[in-house]
Amino acid sequence: MKNHQARTIIQKGLLFALILILIMAIGFHEIAAALVSRVFSVDVRRGSLPEVRFMMYFFGLYAFISGWATAGKEGSFSQKLLQGIVASAVAGLIVALFDILLVYLVQNGIDIREYLTAFSTASMSYFLFDRGQAGLLQHLVYFVIFGGLGSLLHVIRDTEAAQNAINKASFFLKSSKEKIDNALPPFVRKYGKYLVLMIVAVAMYILPRLWGSYINFVLGLVGLYVIAGIGLNIIVGLSGQLVLGYAAFFAMGAYSMALLNAPTPHNILLGFWPSLIVAMIMAVLAGLVLGLPLMGLRGDYLAIVTLGFGEIIRILLKSDLLSNLTGGPRGIHDIQGPTLFGRPFFSDINYMYIIFVAVALTIFVYNRLQESRTGRAWLSIKEDAIASQATGVNLKKYKLLALAIGAAFAGLVGGISAARNQFTGPNDHSLLVSMNVLSIVIVGGVNSVPGIILGAFTLKGLPEILREVENYRQLLFGILLIVMMIMRPNGLWPATRPLYEHMDDPESTKKTSGKESNNA
Amino acid sequence: MTAKEKSSQVKQRDLSKIIRPIFGALVAAYVLWRLYFVFIVEAKYGPQVWVSLLIAGLIIGAVYSLIAIGYTLVYGILLMINFAHGEVMMFGVYAGYFVLEATKAIRVPTAANPDLVFADAYPALSIILTFIVGMGVAALVGYYLEKIAYRPLRKAPRLIPLISAIGASFVLQNISLLLFSPQLRNYNNPNAMARGNGWKIIINETPVNVPYTGVFTLILSVVLMLGLLYLVRNTRLGKSMRAVALDKDTAALMGINVNQTISSTFLISGALAGAAGVMWGLHNGQVYNTVGFLPGIKAFTAAVLGGIGNIPGAMMGGMLLGLVESIGPTALGISYQLKDVIAFAILISILIFKPSGILGEVLSEEKV
Repeated sequence: MKNHQARTIIQKGLLFALILILIMAIGFHEIAAALVSRVFSVDVRRGSLPEVRFMMYFFGLYAFISGWATAGKEGSFSQKLLQGIVASAVAGLIVALFDILLVYLVQNGIDIREYLTAFSTASMSYFLFDRGQAGLLQHLVYFVIFGGLGSLLHVIRDTEAAQNAINKASFFLKSSKEKIDNALPPFVRKYGKYLVLMIVAVAMYILPRLWGSYINFVLGLVGLYVIAGIGLNIIVGLSGQLVLGYAAFFAMGAYSMALLNAPTPHNILLGFWPSLIVAMIMAVLAGLVLGLPLMGLRGDYLAIVTLGFGEIIRILLKSDLLSNLTGGPRGIHDIQGPTLFGRPFFSDINYMYIIFVAVALTIFVYNRLQESRTGRAWLSIKEDAIASQATGVNLKKYKLLALAIGAAFAGLVGGISAARNQFTGPNDHSLLVSMNVLSIVIVGGVNSVPGIILGAFTLKGLPEILREVENYRQLLFGILLIVMMIMRPNGLWPATRPLYEHMDDPESTKKTSGKESNNA
Repeated sequence: MTAKEKSSQVKQRDLSKIIRPIFGALVAAYVLWRLYFVFIVEAKYGPQVWVSLLIAGLIIGAVYSLIAIGYTLVYGILLMINFAHGEVMMFGVYAGYFVLEATKAIRVPTAANPDLVFADAYPALSIILTFIVGMGVAALVGYYLEKIAYRPLRKAPRLIPLISAIGASFVLQNISLLLFSPQLRNYNNPNAMARGNGWKIIINETPVNVPYTGVFTLILSVVLMLGLLYLVRNTRLGKSMRAVALDKDTAALMGINVNQTISSTFLISGALAGAAGVMWGLHNGQVYNTVGFLPGIKAFTAAVLGGIGNIPGAMMGGMLLGLVESIGPTALGISYQLKDVIAFAILISILIFKPSGILGEVLSEEKV
């Protein structure tokens, strides 16, 4: 048992050391230090290193976290603490070994940037706190001290007294929320929803005029991804079919809009609104064509097939075969914007309005669908296809319906974004787009509209604001996906079950929601 | 149930039954028409073209087979698509690249040639070294991938590990992008194995090149596959792998260390992917951070084609896919740009008409 424990401690230390080394090897420590400096509201110009003390803060923070995570789970107080400290020390030792290499490279001026881009002399010595060998010692000391602090806090949190205090505090928060709810006058409780909606509507009318075009651009993007996320959620979340080629439906919408509404290559100039409808219809048709032969497939097979379908569409759009029709790899430029009552309606503010209306419409349609007979059929298919078939749900029909409706929203997004960017090309509809939308749904919370909105803000809006992390966006995306799957498979803002289940038996809702957390 | 409802139900059943044959007939008619057009109407390619395409197809097929085995092994045991498997291969490609760079950098001066480098002095040794390091690195990546991204999700419903795998694929791709920069690199083969060099065979008075790298790839992959078959069928580890694939809980009761078996499966499939990666690098030459994506997807297609969970199926599927992809565009008279479309179209068609693959799935019933 002792031997086994020692091994896990060393493994944990090794893991944290390796992650830190990886962080250095991809040059992320500079970005992390810059982010820390932002917390202290010291602005760092892009392309220049923040002060060394921020790197020290970051290092201390990292050591603290590793200490927190490596603290023992069982045994007496001192045993747990010791485990954390030993693991941190192991991590520190390994990092120190790595530092020796760095010191050697820095002192001899060896440049290996041709192979490993991040190992520039500046970056390496920044990692060593600009102190050479002294930085190595400092790393070791930081790991022991802050790691020890982290595990100490973790161990203290695990003691009974602390647990009781935490429970009390959370209970107090909950009960005070209920108290506030009960204290509201009945009028507000009854019509509060509509009141909030009205305030939101007014705000949405005024705010885009105040924000300026950059925020409008970012929020417009977020709004489009909200629509796409809700559309995909109808397919993935409600009916439980994992579709990885969602961008193919975007492409359908975007290209319909572009071909019908741009001077080249066809010069049809049908106008924005009719084209938008055509875009949605085309996307639905694509969904039906894809869905009809594939409805019987196992979940993961469907995922791969739709992925293949998405790639086929993209390659075809790119190829010479269709370049007379679709403009080939260059894409289509100068797509005309919408007009309203004969007036041009395509400034950034106007697009913001269009997107708001589209989002509101999407949420409305989604909510109505979810609570309808169709929505319940979808959920039952997702929970157990065979049982729902036995109770008379037509599997093929409902799965196909979900695919078609989800595709329609994708067509809508594709159409609007093509007109908004005045451009669409094959690379706007790559696999990455499908993955982004899927990540929004998963990270935000499957079947939860507020979750999807939150997800779109976190994954599309936040990176726009945090410009520093630009190059690391995809990496963080991937890490977020894995971590979410392990820690919170139900998303940031998990869905609550639809209202009709709460109606008579509060006990059963508890059970089903518990079950859902296993199945989602 | 009223008569009207009944008839509508009958109609629906008929619809889905009719669509598949129609779809199939359309595809078959198109393929036959194109074949007729290319072979009989145009007939502009002599046998030397087909032989060289055949050789190229076999080589790429061998690479696909090796990757496909990894998919099949993992799918057989965990029932999940290891979406990051192509990225495991990518790390194998990079590892091989670095080893070759190192062997090119080390000098072993002789009297005749003071600038002789290790790679040219001992080509066989440096190639072996490349394969060992490439396979080792890819195996380790696969091993840690499972440990970090999949093991905590073993009990989760099926789509959750798939999404985690997609995340892992993102992570690995971008780590290599940030580590090695987006720069396109070229494999620095030893002179004896330079790309494009090969035996010439004369067909129809035209020399057809049989590249050394290709022959080497083909032979090595066959050896590796035979080794794997032996390992799975005749060794203790293979036995425990089969047992875990059949039923994890019962296997655990019989004293098999399930975690360790799964880890070794990932090690083996990673090593095979690494070998495939080094072969890819030696033969095709280019290294970049998304080098694993398309081969990964295609190898999955190959695994499905042969019947997932079925190791000989994966080998056959890989070869078949390589051949079709290589010969297909020319035989159908379509642009070579569309060769990826052919692979995906095959995938979709297989899943529509015969989801269990050509040689049949080998999965325990409860899982399907």
